Amino acid sequence: MPPLNTYIVEDSPVIRESLIATLEEMVPVRVVGTAEDEATAVQWLGNADHRVDLVIVDLFLKGGSGLGVLRAAMAWPSRFRLVVLSNYATQDMRRKCLELGADRVFDKSNEIDALILYCDQLAAGMGTAGLPA
Amino acid sequence: MTGLRRFPIVFPLACSAAAAMVFISEGSYWQSVASLNDLGAMGAARTRIQGLQQSILDAETGQRGFLLTGRADHLQPYDQALKDIADAFDFLDRHYRDEPEPAALLDRLHRLTAARVAAMAQAIRQQQAGQVQASTDSVLNDLGREQMGAIRALAAELLAQEATKVSTGRNELYSTLLVGRIGVAALSAVSLLALFLFLRQTSALRQKQLELKHTVLVERDRLDDEVKRRTVQLTELTRHLQTAREDERNRLARNLHDELGALLTSAKLDAARIRSRLAGTAPEALERLAHLVETLNKSIALGRSIIEDLRPSTLGNLGLVATLEILTRDFTERSGLQLHCTLAPVQLDEAAELTVYRLVQEAVTNISKYAKARQVWLSLASRAGRVEVSVRDDGVGFDPATQPRSAYGLVGMRFRVESEGGTLTVQSAPGQGTLVQASLPESGAAAA
Repeated sequence: MPPLNTYIVEDSPVIRESLIATLEEMVPVRVVGTAEDEATAVQWLGNADHRVDLVIVDLFLKGGSGLGVLRAAMAWPSRFRLVVLSNYATQDMRRKCLELGADRVFDKSNEIDALILYCDQLAAGMGTAGLPA
Repeated sequence: MTGLRRFPIVFPLACSAAAAMVFISEGSYWQSVASLNDLGAMGAARTRIQGLQQSILDAETGQRGFLLTGRADHLQPYDQALKDIADAFDFLDRHYRDEPEPAALLDRLHRLTAARVAAMAQAIRQQQAGQVQASTDSVLNDLGREQMGAIRALAAELLAQEATKVSTGRNELYSTLLVGRIGVAALSAVSLLALFLFLRQTSALRQKQLELKHTVLVERDRLDDEVKRRTVQLTELTRHLQTAREDERNRLARNLHDELGALLTSAKLDAARIRSRLAGTAPEALERLAHLVETLNKSIALGRSIIEDLRPSTLGNLGLVATLEILTRDFTERSGLQLHCTLAPVQLDEAAELTVYRLVQEAVTNISKYAKARQVWLSLASRAGRVEVSVRDDGVGFDPATQPRSAYGLVGMRFRVESEGGTLTVQSAPGQGTLVQASLPESGAAAA
């Protein structure tokens, strides 16, 4: 099972480190890069040479917002899964994110397990039948 | 009375001038009356003295007629003259009773006349007794002429004295009249002076009143300006305090979200890792871990509600309408009231959006605390370049004339809306519900 190339957009170093450690320990994931702000993330992701399967985006960033990353991604051909991991996963925010092309929205506090499960399934699915819905 | 108190000199002056005028006029009148009476009496005395002389001559003429003719009818004017003489002396005796000098003269005149009359009476008796020669002698002798001369001289002297007295009396009258005239003139002058002083004081008083009025006007204008200045200061201070408060809330919310949220999320991630390692090996530890995760979840929920209360995060992300929808939905769930929303997208800058949000928040908080309402109507719309927001309820209302229960909240709201260039009105009456309306200028920028 090939590891899932993952890019993380998260401005909190504490969460970033914990998240990387947790994902890499529990799921076949390889973190290929991180960004703390919208501009860096958009620039990195905009480069089609960068191989990436999954992008995890926080909504509140040091500069700009996760929504900006989602908007930018809508313009590109779909080559990776885009999930939102936020502390503000309210109903409205979820709807807004899904409208902007996010595949899933996870609550940072209550849906860590769901995120891990999603990543696990994603990694498993990539080896066999492509990307799961 | 206040008018009199204002003229302390003039009023007594006017009173004493009037009193003095009356006094002088009365004194002069009575003195003149007395002088005129005296003059009248003097005139009467003169007439009597002259009458007396005439009567003596009449008596002599009658006596001589009788002596020459022997006819008794000549005695009639004689007798009449004697009676007149007696009358005249009677009057003059009374007239000169209190004046020693003319009384002495009168006494001598009395005696001379008595002697003359006695002589005439003797001649008449001699004639009647047939002693014609003796009676004729008595007429022809010089004694009678001398007596008459003395009588005439005495009478002239009395008349002269009387004339002197008349002249003196007249002079007294003149001086009395002069005193009265001078007094009236002087008092008229005093009255004019008093009037002048009165007028001057009145005009001074009016001047003072005008000055006072002017001072009051100047003071009022100064106070007006002061009030305006203070109001501007208060508005600025309120805006500053509101900004500071929102900044502080933002900072707190951000810190809570970033720092505490990150720590809690990190803890949750760690918990997930620990659970995967413990899986199937230590069921008791797993149970404790589940409890720990539950505690973490509660902490997260608490943190979120605090953060959301501090700063509506959706305002910046989803816009005012969505944020108000969330606010009202939460409110409806908590209060159980029926809420009718008519929310249209509006163009407002960030600060104004927050103001509208806080206004609605304050209004619905008041409704849930005090109004005892069943239904609430919330509306947000754009009209003629202004954003209008209104919150209405069908609750108990209040009397706006009395201090409303949520006075400070409303005052704060008013300042806040005014500092954004808007206006706030609150309409209510007991039993009529409450309507809070705000109108703010639309922002120039296009909606995000």
